[in-house]
Order: sequence, then structure tokens, then C-alpha cells
Amino acid sequence: METLADLASPIAIGVLLGGLYVVIALGLSLVFGVMKVINVAHGDLVILGSYFAYVTSTSWGLDPILSLVVGIPLFFVMGIFIEKFLVHRAFRMSVDAALIIAFGISLIIQNAAQLVWTPLSRGLMTSYTLESLKIGDVYLPVVYLVDFAMALVVVLAVHQFLKRTYLGQAITAASQDSETAQLMGINPARVYQIAFGIAMALAAIAGVSLALTFPFTPKSGVPFLIIAFGVIILGGLGSMVGTFIGGMIFGLSQTLGGHFLGPTGQLLVPFVMVLVVLTIRPQGLFGR
Amino acid sequence: MSEEVLLRVSNIDVFYGGAQALWDVSLEVRSGEIVALAGSNGAGKSTLLKTISGVIHPAKGSIEFAGMNITKLNAYDIVAQGISQVPEGRRLFPEMTVFQNLAIGSYNGKARAKREENLTRVYELFPVLKERKDQLAKTLSGGEQQMVAIGRGLMSNPRLILIDEMSLGLSPLIVCDLFRVLHAIRARGITVLLVEQNVWQSLHEADRAYIIETGRIVLSGNALELCEEEEVREAYFGV
Repeated sequence: METLADLASPIAIGVLLGGLYVVIALGLSLVFGVMKVINVAHGDLVILGSYFAYVTSTSWGLDPILSLVVGIPLFFVMGIFIEKFLVHRAFRMSVDAALIIAFGISLIIQNAAQLVWTPLSRGLMTSYTLESLKIGDVYLPVVYLVDFAMALVVVLAVHQFLKRTYLGQAITAASQDSETAQLMGINPARVYQIAFGIAMALAAIAGVSLALTFPFTPKSGVPFLIIAFGVIILGGLGSMVGTFIGGMIFGLSQTLGGHFLGPTGQLLVPFVMVLVVLTIRPQGLFGR
Repeated sequence: MSEEVLLRVSNIDVFYGGAQALWDVSLEVRSGEIVALAGSNGAGKSTLLKTISGVIHPAKGSIEFAGMNITKLNAYDIVAQGISQVPEGRRLFPEMTVFQNLAIGSYNGKARAKREENLTRVYELFPVLKERKDQLAKTLSGGEQQMVAIGRGLMSNPRLILIDEMSLGLSPLIVCDLFRVLHAIRARGITVLLVEQNVWQSLHEADRAYIIETGRIVLSGNALELCEEEEVREAYFGV
């Protein structure tokens, strides 16, 4: 007989796992919102973030979360360069051309990562990797709590940045009407670079989160990209709240799906939900 | 009234896509004037405004503003020079609030320092916007949206404001109010270049006017005198 207590664990884990998905999805959503380009390399950029954490923690003995002090600015600057020198030239031709470039970046990262780090599965070992927090009858792995805490901080920070700063408002304005944004004195090319830079910084954060939680290989970016798509479709594009709730729903339906259908069914449930939302409410639960 | 020429458009040719939209167009706006650019739909009025604000660039000719050649500047750099455009169809940022729409108007460095001052002035001109400052732009009525569009244009601290089809789709009563505001704006030292399909009204509100037909300036002069011109009366007023 199923009791509520049995469900407490998958529910808690699902919500916390959703935090990781939110951070992965945010960068994808930001670039799409501003440039209307589906950055199919985003999952691989996240994995690049995971390898960055892997290298800094194995070579320098740095805590992965602490390594973000270097990782965030480094990835931000990399994002600006990638947009400026790779994506933008294609973007000026068409959104489709930029999509092809993103495919290329994805392939290059995957293959370069195989050369440098081999196709073997890697993971991060920290002092808290195997720790759990016991609340009632539920054991919550510390890394899942870290994922969720990072998601909260990131969502609040991005939200405040977009809402309260001139640059954030410029990004918001350009995503709604880039020609009129120019009449406000906003240089769209610069906005695209900044947005891409922020998306890369978010990829660095998501990469650390992911590496703390799961083992990863050079090819791990693809399944997480698809999950991020699911999160965005559930929540609705362009909505921060939507992305957050979308991540929670995705995580929850995954763990509950696993609970009721077994491990093989765990991703079936969220993707069926994505399909249902696409059919009934294509703009997403919180989309406009 | 000051005689200083603020904006001088000299002999510009403009192509839109592959087709030529403007032929050898010249125009002058003096500091403190309200100048109307009138003509029927498709005559090239909006193209001319977009060329002045740098959204499109002329193939030939030059544009000078306050003594500076701005022909090749990008739209986002021209704003900081002191030209602001209120685009046709208002083009508000629909998912941003009234306040956010106004605030983004002061994006350029020079305007940021004067944001509070300009915001107070905009709320004086349009008190209703202060009441609605937290409302999303897309939820406003057409007239209110036009107020936000003009207010947003003023937030960039312009010396010259270009207003494209201000009265389109609005009730005559609201249009009268908006024209009153234009005179108030001018009284504050801001020069106005107005594009209107409504030739009769714009000629009655402006100091000087240019009539544009199929991409060429065909008449220009004192606005009220133009009203009396036989050609204008026949072509636009049907008398």
C-alpha cells in the first residue's frame, strides 16, 4: 500500500533536481528570447562547464563551487567572443545560419572534449558528495540541496538584473522589438553579445551543478539540452517564473515517474507531459 | 524664433530593398519649429524619417544635425546626438510596464543623468501615465500608448523629436490633446518634425510644411499658406 511517506522522497528529490534543470534551461531560454536562435550547443557548453569544474578540482584541488569565481567571468568572456566571432556573422545572414553554426560548435566541443578528457565517464568527488541530510524519514543528498540553492540564487539574480539594470532592460527591450530598441540608443549587436555571455556564465554554473550531481561524458550535453527544451516548453518561453516552475514540474514528474514505473519510465512521464502541454497550451503554462 | 538650422537634409536618394523610395530630397528644420511632412500613404514620409534617425542610410546626399554630419551614423548613436524618433504604430515594448518603457528611453548616457527630471516632465505632460506606471504597455488604450511613445521619445533628452503618424487610428478628441502637447513640447525648446497622412490637420498645427509625393518633395513653405495653395486643396482636401 502506497503511503504519503513513500512519496515524500521522490517529491523532494524531484523538486531539488528541478533546480538543476532550471539553471540549464535559463541560458537556452535567454539566447532564444533575445536572438530567436536555438543554441543547440548549450548542452555542450554546460558540459564544458562540468569539465572546467573537473579540471580545477582535480588539478588545483579547488572546490567546484568556489571555482565559479573564475569560471563565471571566464565563460562570460568566452560567450562574448563566441557570439561576436562565430555566431554573429551567420546571424546577420539568417537565424537558420546561426543554428548551423551552433550545431558546429556543439560537434567541436564534443569531439575536443573526447580528445582532451577521453570518452570515459567523469565525476566530481568532494567532501559532501556522499553526504545526506535527514529530514523526517527522507534523506536529501547534499549535492541536490546545493543544486536547488544555486538555482534559487541564479533565478533571483538574473531576474533582478533583467528588471533593475539598464543593460537588463536593454536585453528585455531588444528581445521584444530589436528595431525599436535601436531608436532607444541600444546597440542590438552588443546586447546579443552580453546575452550570450550571460548564457555561457549560466552554463558554467549549470555545469558545476551537473558535475556535482551526475557522472558525465563528452556526449552528456545532448540529453540535458533536450531536458532543457522540455523545461522551456512546459514553463513557456520568456517567462522566468515559467522556467522555474517548468524545471520543478520536469524534475517532479521524472522522480515520480521513476517511482511508479521504475527507472526505465522515469523520463517517459515528463516528456509525455511536454507533449500534452504542446497540444493543449503551446505557449507553455506561463507563456504569453 | 531662432533661425539656426538644426537639421539639414541635402539631396538624399534612398533605396528600400531594391526599389528607390526617395529622390533628391532636401529639407530643413530650424531650431524651435514645428515642421510637418505631409503626403499620402506610400509617398515616402516614414522612409525619410527612418533615414534621418539612421535606421536606413541614404545612397546619396547628406544629413547634418546641429552642424554635425550624421549621414553614416547608426540609429543607436544618433539618439545620443539628440534626435529621438516616435515610430509609426507606437512600437511600445508590450511586455514592459509604462515606467519601464519610459525609463528605457533614457538609455543613452547623456539622458541617464537627467532621467528623473525628464520623467517628471513627461508625467506633467501626461498625468495619466503616472497613474498607470506599473501597467503593462500592451494593456493600454491606443491613445495612452501614443502618450507613452511620445513620452519615451522625450526621455532621451532630445533637441529634435521625429513623430511618425501620431494621429493614426486615434479619435479626433485625443488627437487634439496630443497636438496641444506638441505645442507644449515646443515651448520647452524641443523642435518637432511631424509626419502625417492627415494633411489638413498637420498644416494647421505646423509652422512650416513639406508636401511629399511618390518620393519627391513637391511643395514647401509656410504651413497655412500651403493650405491655400490650389494644388494642395485639390489633391488633399478635395475642394
